[in-house]
Amino acid sequence: MARQGKRKAGDVREPSNGTTDPESSDEGDLLEGNASDDEGALSDGSEGGLVASSSEDEGALASEEEGSDPESDGEGESDEENEDGEIGEATEELAQAVQDYYLERDAREGEEAENGELVRGQEEVGVSGRGEEEERRGAGEERFGPHVDESDSSEDERPDRNTVGNVPLEWYKDEEHIGYTKHGKKIIKQKRKDELDKFLKQADDPKAWRTLYDEYNDEDIVLSKEEIAMIQRIRQGKIPHAEVNPHEPYVDWFEFEDKGQPLSGAPEPKRRFIPSKWEAKQVVKIVRAIRKGWISFDKKPEAPRVYLLWEDDFRTADKTANGLTYIPPPKPKLPGHEESYNPPLEYLPTEEELNSYDLMYEEDRPKYIPRKFDSLRQVPSYANFVKDKFERCLDLYLSPRIRKKRINIDPESLIPKLPKPKDLQPFPTTLYLEFLGHEGAVRTLATDPSGQWLASGSRDGTVRLWEVQTGRCRKVWSLNTPVKFLSWNPNPDRPLLAVVFGRSVLLMGSGTGNETQSEAAAGLVKLQETATGAADEGAVVRWQKSERAEGLEVVHKHDVAHVSWHHKGDYFASTSPDAVSTAVLVHQLGKQQTQNPFRKNHGRVQRVLFHPTRPFFFVATQTHVRVYNLAKQQLAKKLTAGVNQISSMAIHSGGDNLIIGSYDNKLTWFDMDLSTKPYRTLRYHDSSIEGVAFHRSYPLFASCSDDGSAHVFHGMVYSNLLENPLIVPVKILRGHKVVESEGVLDCAFHPTQPWLFTAGADKSIKLYCN
Amino acid sequence: MGQKKQRGKEGNAANYTTRNQALIRLQIKLPEFRRLCILKGIHPREPKKKVHGHNKTYYHVKDINFLLHEPLLQKSRDIKAHEKKVKKARAKLDEALADRLKANAPKYSLDHLVRERYPSFIDALRDLDDALTMLHLFATLPADSKHRIPANLVQTARRLSLEWQAYITKTHALRKAFVSVKGIYYQAEVVGQKITWIVPHALSQVLPEDVDYRVMLTFLEFYETFVEFVNFKLYHSLGLKYPPALDTKLEEVAAELAAAVSSLAGETDSPQTGGQLENGAGASGRGEEDSAEGPPEGEKLVALKEKLGVSVAAGGDANGGVEEAGPWGGGEAEEDEGEDEEDEETKACRGLFKGLFFFLAREVPHESLLFLIRAFGGSVSWEGEGAPYPESDERITHQIVDRPTQGHRFLSREYVQPQWVYDSVNNRLLLPTEDYPAGGSLPPHLSPFVDNEAEGYLPEYAEQIQRLRDAARGSLGGVLPLPGGAEEGLEEGAAAKAAAERGEDLAAAAKAAEVAKLEQEYLEDLRKEVAGVPYSATLGGGATEERDEGGAEDEADEGGVSGKVTDGARAEDDDKAMERIMMPRKTKKLYEAMQMGIAAKKAGVDSLKKKRKAAAAGKLNVVKKPRGA
Repeated sequence: MARQGKRKAGDVREPSNGTTDPESSDEGDLLEGNASDDEGALSDGSEGGLVASSSEDEGALASEEEGSDPESDGEGESDEENEDGEIGEATEELAQAVQDYYLERDAREGEEAENGELVRGQEEVGVSGRGEEEERRGAGEERFGPHVDESDSSEDERPDRNTVGNVPLEWYKDEEHIGYTKHGKKIIKQKRKDELDKFLKQADDPKAWRTLYDEYNDEDIVLSKEEIAMIQRIRQGKIPHAEVNPHEPYVDWFEFEDKGQPLSGAPEPKRRFIPSKWEAKQVVKIVRAIRKGWISFDKKPEAPRVYLLWEDDFRTADKTANGLTYIPPPKPKLPGHEESYNPPLEYLPTEEELNSYDLMYEEDRPKYIPRKFDSLRQVPSYANFVKDKFERCLDLYLSPRIRKKRINIDPESLIPKLPKPKDLQPFPTTLYLEFLGHEGAVRTLATDPSGQWLASGSRDGTVRLWEVQTGRCRKVWSLNTPVKFLSWNPNPDRPLLAVVFGRSVLLMGSGTGNETQSEAAAGLVKLQETATGAADEGAVVRWQKSERAEGLEVVHKHDVAHVSWHHKGDYFASTSPDAVSTAVLVHQLGKQQTQNPFRKNHGRVQRVLFHPTRPFFFVATQTHVRVYNLAKQQLAKKLTAGVNQISSMAIHSGGDNLIIGSYDNKLTWFDMDLSTKPYRTLRYHDSSIEGVAFHRSYPLFASCSDDGSAHVFHGMVYSNLLENPLIVPVKILRGHKVVESEGVLDCAFHPTQPWLFTAGADKSIKLYCN
Repeated sequence: MGQKKQRGKEGNAANYTTRNQALIRLQIKLPEFRRLCILKGIHPREPKKKVHGHNKTYYHVKDINFLLHEPLLQKSRDIKAHEKKVKKARAKLDEALADRLKANAPKYSLDHLVRERYPSFIDALRDLDDALTMLHLFATLPADSKHRIPANLVQTARRLSLEWQAYITKTHALRKAFVSVKGIYYQAEVVGQKITWIVPHALSQVLPEDVDYRVMLTFLEFYETFVEFVNFKLYHSLGLKYPPALDTKLEEVAAELAAAVSSLAGETDSPQTGGQLENGAGASGRGEEDSAEGPPEGEKLVALKEKLGVSVAAGGDANGGVEEAGPWGGGEAEEDEGEDEEDEETKACRGLFKGLFFFLAREVPHESLLFLIRAFGGSVSWEGEGAPYPESDERITHQIVDRPTQGHRFLSREYVQPQWVYDSVNNRLLLPTEDYPAGGSLPPHLSPFVDNEAEGYLPEYAEQIQRLRDAARGSLGGVLPLPGGAEEGLEEGAAAKAAAERGEDLAAAAKAAEVAKLEQEYLEDLRKEVAGVPYSATLGGGATEERDEGGAEDEADEGGVSGKVTDGARAEDDDKAMERIMMPRKTKKLYEAMQMGIAAKKAGVDSLKKKRKAAAAGKLNVVKKPRGA
């Protein structure tokens, strides 16, 4: 850098030398004088120029004493030649430019330019130096520096070729030499060339346009590319050096100038020469402190960094510092076989398993996929180690800790301790008989009070009477309408059947029992004149003689679903859910009268029941069971079943316990002494419950469902009011096939034996015995 | 009538504060709060009712008050103020003042926190797992200016982890070691507490960018103080000086654990030959523990030992032979005599590798194996400087290599892969070395932390090991005979012979088991004959019992029209279903969830069994190195 700078600067100086060599020292002065003026830029250049030299030049300088160094010059030349072609066109212009510049300047500094040699020199710019030997030129370039020795720079101390000093050159005009070398040898003038030679050379030499003649040293100088660029800049009125920033921030070096004298001429005060009293006091103080040992220069012995913190003999502490129970952080899970670097083969995932992971949700995917390495050498470092530990740190200080009691219970201990079914026998366990004969799903069945006969009604429109012991079909009534329900008169002296089909309830003698009983039954089913509906058409029902069978028919205005006998066998209640206000009707068989006990029903009535012993009447709507006191004619209780739709209802012979089956698969047990809420709600059927039944004497109840099964329970009711009923499932009876999503449609217990009858949609009736 | 309760004055509302409320109360910023919480071990709690909203973090008021009275709180303010002073001095170009201030910076220590958090030593040991893992991690991390991991913390971590390992080695407290993909798990038992820590594989660690290293460094800061005190206590309980002076010579050659151990235990692997480790160097490294050398120190330690109820043999008792010299210069006999309370387990651990000389090739993980072998009573050397004995030493019984091919093989020793050491240690049994040949395929490396019975699945190799163990216990009542275990002059080929013998033993044991079984059967038959059970009945194989049990059902079947309705399985299902009917709903749900868990576990085990069967048939195609794993 420095060298380049030097070279450029030096080059700028050259033309002025070349042209104004006789008064070169004046020139230097002049330039310096200009420095503070408008020519600051130029002066920069010229001052720099005093430093001047290129690297080649310096090389030449080293060998200067022996003369010149052709090699180095040659190099310099060859460089320049390459660029000739480009610059050639500007030849004339440039020469003109250089001249113009100096002319201009001289005009400005007219007074100082004492002699007219500048003009003469300029003349020579054009003519001199052509055809000079290059070596001489090179030497000349080196040589011109030192003669501007006014430079404040020490770097440019370069010996000149000519040592004549600042004397008019015309003194040597007539001599054969132009001056002397350092060693006192004469420098012989070059041979003068005539104008023709000069002209020819100008024409031949491509560098001629930028060749100047240095009269002082008597040599030609070829301007380099940079020098020419600099000259061009000068001509444009710019600062010669492209790198110089003319707008440097202003630094006010001479700030003090308008602020008066910075230095005081006052004599030094005395206090500066006498020791300070205050300081002496301080010293005394410190000395005293040191003597008394307040200030110590000994380093304090450091307390041991670690010491025995726990003196206890491995006892645990029961108190924490903050009074809260310490919740230790849970320890991380210990690794299993799968985390081994070399796990057993079965722990590694197969390709299918790996693919299945891709289909999983992110959170379900296994956190760690086992890998296997053949040797310990091949195990790489685990990339997530730091991250895992960081997450552990976060867990430690960010996660809320709760003490959770981990119940490590055996699942089997959750099963309630109930008596073994074996100990609760008898109950129906096995299929004993199948009653086959119906051609449609058996919808309903009932046993007669003696337990000898079984009646069943089917969708095929028949009612069949079976002998329980043998399974023989004793009688068939064909009603041509699907039978929905049938029920025996609970009074053994009245062997009557109430059969529900369509809108009618058919009352007919079953033909069982002895003769007197049969006669009584036949007498009862004869239409009387007092019968409801016989006279007026507007009655809720019409009692009439049946056409389909020998008996009475109670024709309702809506479909009848269910009928329920009073335990004495005189009254029975029918349910027709579709009828709004006449949904529940109570019929008296003896008088063949019908009455509507409720003016209004709360919801769709599903079932009604008489209390087995007391004057209570149960009305089951879809979700509730209302218990009416018939004697007082008021609502006694309202039981909330907690089910969606009640399908069936049965009452314990004691009358205090009620079970309800529902279409949403639930069975609820009400202990009416306990609460109006269910005592137990059991959900074990897979499909809706179609029927429930209590045994009359055994502590048994059963439910049957569309899932094709019937469940038998031990349902013990204690006379001790403090003891809750005991419910134990004892048997699941399967056997019926599910036909069109209908399984077991009804079930009934044998009145005296622990036997269960079930009616299935698969057209069969089954008897399960113990 | 009592006063009316005001809202927010009692219960959850008064006992728990949100984090922001806590910050306001403590007048600190969140990073400072975080730091305090980490150091004090305060964590959020889960109130039963989240009075201030569900998405908030709740702290117990007592915890926050606890923080409020923490001297560190004031200290941190002081430090902050001091930093400002230094900064100001620097800004004023007053370097002298800044330097002076800096030299007098307020200091803090965390020992009171250790005491506060762990009032008893047992508590401290219980929580040591995380601390040790963290220390071992940072001991392998580079001091990284980018992540602001200071070098001194790393060095301390390294020192403390070495001290810990040295203690474990000295007391033979190591119980289990497991090489997982994630790192090497160690489990030690100290004062009845099981302490597990993980050491990353000795390779350069990845420092992820999405990790807040400040949090980790705060933890590390506490853990270092904590472990230092624990180490002190442990060393103190042994009557050793803390910190142990490390053997500089060994430390230089990066055999740091060896340095720590040798300094601590005063253990010399080859006192006679000296190996490359000169006795003099060893002594200097051992420092003051060598009571035989410095009388006053010795007296103190003797006194201490007496206090501990340990009988002391004469200090001048020569550390004879290859027996490891106790820290008090006593021999092995004395130690046996003294440590009566030492449990069976420790004895087994100490004696596992006793008399065995190991040599580690340069490609095996030195630190882990050095730790392991020494903790189990073996002598170990390695390839490199500071090794106690050279590779050519004739006493070497096992050379641990992990190269597929070996250059020169010594016939007098066994060449095994490192896994042999881990498996042997976990099973407390010197496994047959033929299964772990250098360069050969290895049996699976099983986790010692798995309770196979609870898991319900026993891998094949575990079964094999179990058989070996039973054989060893049955035939010898202890560890299998070792190849030249106690003998000094080990002849060539003795090892192989011993191995063969052991193999025979195993076969014999299996045969014995079979014979025992037959005998049992014979006795059973005899008993039946005496009882008068007909032979046909015995052929049925317990059919009589079944008949007794299912009597009722059988009768029922007989009474039924068709026996097809109820079959045994169905009845059983029904019984179970009936049992469940009477369960309350909540219990039923819990029960079902449990059954689901059991089923999932069973499914896992079944899948394993299936895969194992397939593998045995050679039909299992597993992916050894799944992508992205």
